[in-house]
Amino acid sequence: MALGYSQQTEEGICNVKRRQFAAGALALAGTALAGGARPGRAEEKVVLSFLHKWPEPDNVVFFNNAIEAYTKAHPNVTINAEAVADEPYKAKIRVVMASGDVPDIYFTWVGEFTRQFIRGGRVLDLSPYLAKPEWQGRFSQATLNAYRTDGKFYGIPLNLDAKFFMYNKTLFEKAGISAPPATWPQFEAVCDKLKAAKIQPISFGSQLAWATSHYVGDFNAKLVPIAVRESDYLLKTPADKLFTDPGYVQALEYYTSMLTKGWFNKTPNAFTHAVARAAFHAGRSSMLYDELVSFGRAAGTKLEKDGWDFFPMPAIPGGRGDQALLTGAPDGFVVSPKCKHPEVALDFLNFLTTRAQGAEYTRITKRTSAVIGAVTSANASPQVLRGIDVINAAKGMVIWLDTDMESRVGSAYLAGAQALMGGTETPAQVMAKVRAAALQAQKERS
Amino acid sequence: MARILNRLEPYVALSPVLALLAIFLYLPLVFDVIYSVHDWSSLSPTWRYVGLGNFRLLWNDPIFWHGLRGNFLYAAVSLLCQVAGALVLAAILESGVVGRRLSGFFRVAFFIPSILPITVIGLLWQILYQPDGGLIDQVLQAVGLGGFAHAWLGEEATALPSIVAVSQWQWTGYLTVLFIVGIRAIPSEIYEAAAIDGAGALRSFWHVTVPGVQETTILMALITIFGAMKVFDIVWVMTAGGPNNASHVMGSYMYQLAFRDDRVGYAGAVAMAMFVLSAIAGGLQIWHARRSHS
Amino acid sequence: MNTRLRQAPRSRAAATLLLGVLALGTLYPLFWLFLNSFKLNDELFEQSWKFPEAWQWGNYPKAWQYGLGHFMANSVLVTTVSVVVIVLLSALAAYVLTTQRFRGRGVLHAVILGGLIVPPEVSLFPLFKIMKTLGVLDTYFAMILPDVAYGLPFTVLLLRAYMMVIPLEMAEAARIDGAGLLRCFWSVYLPLCRPALAAAALVQGMRVWNEFVFALTFVGRDALRPLTVGLTTFGDSLQTDWPVLLAGLVISTLPVLATFLAMQRQFMGGLTAGALK
Repeated sequence: MALGYSQQTEEGICNVKRRQFAAGALALAGTALAGGARPGRAEEKVVLSFLHKWPEPDNVVFFNNAIEAYTKAHPNVTINAEAVADEPYKAKIRVVMASGDVPDIYFTWVGEFTRQFIRGGRVLDLSPYLAKPEWQGRFSQATLNAYRTDGKFYGIPLNLDAKFFMYNKTLFEKAGISAPPATWPQFEAVCDKLKAAKIQPISFGSQLAWATSHYVGDFNAKLVPIAVRESDYLLKTPADKLFTDPGYVQALEYYTSMLTKGWFNKTPNAFTHAVARAAFHAGRSSMLYDELVSFGRAAGTKLEKDGWDFFPMPAIPGGRGDQALLTGAPDGFVVSPKCKHPEVALDFLNFLTTRAQGAEYTRITKRTSAVIGAVTSANASPQVLRGIDVINAAKGMVIWLDTDMESRVGSAYLAGAQALMGGTETPAQVMAKVRAAALQAQKERS
Repeated sequence: MARILNRLEPYVALSPVLALLAIFLYLPLVFDVIYSVHDWSSLSPTWRYVGLGNFRLLWNDPIFWHGLRGNFLYAAVSLLCQVAGALVLAAILESGVVGRRLSGFFRVAFFIPSILPITVIGLLWQILYQPDGGLIDQVLQAVGLGGFAHAWLGEEATALPSIVAVSQWQWTGYLTVLFIVGIRAIPSEIYEAAAIDGAGALRSFWHVTVPGVQETTILMALITIFGAMKVFDIVWVMTAGGPNNASHVMGSYMYQLAFRDDRVGYAGAVAMAMFVLSAIAGGLQIWHARRSHS
Repeated sequence: MNTRLRQAPRSRAAATLLLGVLALGTLYPLFWLFLNSFKLNDELFEQSWKFPEAWQWGNYPKAWQYGLGHFMANSVLVTTVSVVVIVLLSALAAYVLTTQRFRGRGVLHAVILGGLIVPPEVSLFPLFKIMKTLGVLDTYFAMILPDVAYGLPFTVLLLRAYMMVIPLEMAEAARIDGAGLLRCFWSVYLPLCRPALAAAALVQGMRVWNEFVFALTFVGRDALRPLTVGLTTFGDSLQTDWPVLLAGLVISTLPVLATFLAMQRQFMGGLTAGALK
């Protein structure tokens, strides 16, 4: 892998200019095509409402640029964009939806969150559009599948994300570790060596409960048979079997052992993920389970000076789930069925996800575009590039636990995962509560 | 004709206030009542009538009862610190025991936390409460009380009490200022008469100040209790009810139900419970005040 | 006032010490906030209690660049309008409730009192619909109207408590002179209540300035957003440069602090005689 990456960089250096030029030309061509294809539409005024969750200044720059470029090429179109940050978005989208004012284009989390909108008839089936030639070869099948339900596609992905263990190379060397672990026994050995060298193995902050879901979701994927897990998450398992697979308790045991064995810092419930990340970036611990989209934040920290790399969650030998799955999901957009001009909305989304715009997106926001070929050595770090390779090579993705299941079941899971970090409940007790919440949700749904 | 107009005058004068309350406070409350007998999620357009089902669920919901206990803790501590404590503080500041200028400084110092936005307070105290690096534990260790150090917001037993403490920090000075206003309204002749009778500082506080600010005390107690019943934002920004739902109060639980778990009907039932309990607490308070007044 | 109680030097020292410790405990966190707004991200978490290694003055212009000035102008507008409306309407209502006898006074008083216990959180769903029906979504009114409504109950009660001590004869005398209800209110009561009005304005101003949920939910256009919502664009719990955020928070707090310091002398001074009785 290391060899491949250095080749890529060298190639990258000589190709930067050419690539950028090519990208620019492509964008121009794209706009011209999009504009030229619909000459008759020029008079008709089209107004699209667009709600998303990226108000950060760099994102605003990207979206404003893109909207400006698009509306310049299509003077009849006006796009009213509104951005609300991640946490507040959860409240905002609900209030907006409850009023029946569905925005024309809006962001949703993949998984159960989107499925609720599908059940309520609030998202448009995009399959016929995606079958058209202008969409071919744009996203990998795995990325598109994240927004697939019952064989239909509902979303246009914007970025890609997955969870990896980032590690501090200097601290690993200090503890005498030569290679990142690939299996759980190797991982155990690594943590033992770090402890022996008096280095905190992993920083973990679970004060905001969503941070627990990434570990638990991953262990579930590795220890519960895939069909059982999917059917449980969708509440389709018969009531007497729902969430009863022994793999679930086992998953929570693995998770708890990371605390009891002293791999995590003490009292993770007292720290937010941001604080845990700061400790890791400052070189106070040797590993952090973090997202690909956060890789860019290591820039300028002690970690960068120490050198870092990453590895996916190690495989658990004998686990009954799938060891080749990654935890992660794309973020993207859906279109309202009430949208008066779905073809314009799709045309805009198509423009937003051209390779040129994808490259712009990654360059400006440091996030990983979901568009194939948009992330290059010109706009991303070698680690990010390899992260994308790993995602593309993965057999599939496990969506974030808390957005993949009915929210009250997810809430029970998150609260239970905190209880395990506080030592106030056992894995079996937590699973009993999860099962009770799932049974109630299942009863109400039928 | 003029007399009829005269008679209507008070209603006309009150009408803007009443209209605003009706539209923006009471009308939503009516909606809440409707929500509370339905099962619905804000994300899907389907409604299902469930009668009193949500209230039955509430009756058997351990998180709700735990949250209610949190509200009572909140109310009890707040009455002690923000009403009784603030009154004592106000009396000390006004007694002249410290110089005029110094007392003015203290007054301003105590008041300042109440002007801060909740985001600042949440962020600030999350860091102050951290184990190891946090200020609280460092101070405890420095004075030899290291054994009392905790992962304050991270332990189920200490999370809510820690949040309650922050509220006292935030609001005690605010109520102190309002009490000072009340104390200054007491004619100074009464204090002088008490002093001539040989009353010490304690006795004159008990026999002159306390009865003198009774009206203020009633209003402050009422506001404190109502505030404790509907408290939400400080809990949400500090722990969001965690760990393991340990620091939930009714308000934060209601918010989680409505905006995270997508059970708006059930959240409406919690809102109803909050409203009714506050009304009972307020009614009792007013009744008690009236009775002891007469 | 020193004549009221003669204090032994020892109790004076004890009281000063007690108040001093309390004041230190109150102000230290704010000092911390100020200090940390000059740090780098890593320093903030790792050396939270030390002075910055190098003072990052750049955090402030950086925070300001996020459009704080623009958000602040919106906050000033919304707060000013809301406070003026709240205080005027509340004063009028308090005046009527204190001086007039009319049928249903007790009930109306209870209705206003009841407003204190309505929790706004679940009401966001119906409020959004109401705003939509009124056609005020995405306008300044979408913030001002609920900000005013939720401020009224407390303000009416506060002002009423104050007006109770103004002798009723003043109102009656004015009315015998032929002044109407409104004129009596405007030219007799309002001037008498000035200190209480200042206190109410301050309290409500603080509340409206710090309001977040209404502004977030009912206003979508960046051009209208107030500071509290604007500050969230620094990033959510996942993506944040804390010291710059802290710098923004310090900036956003300054106007309220300045207003308070300027006003507190005035209303504390004015309230010496007959306040909340």
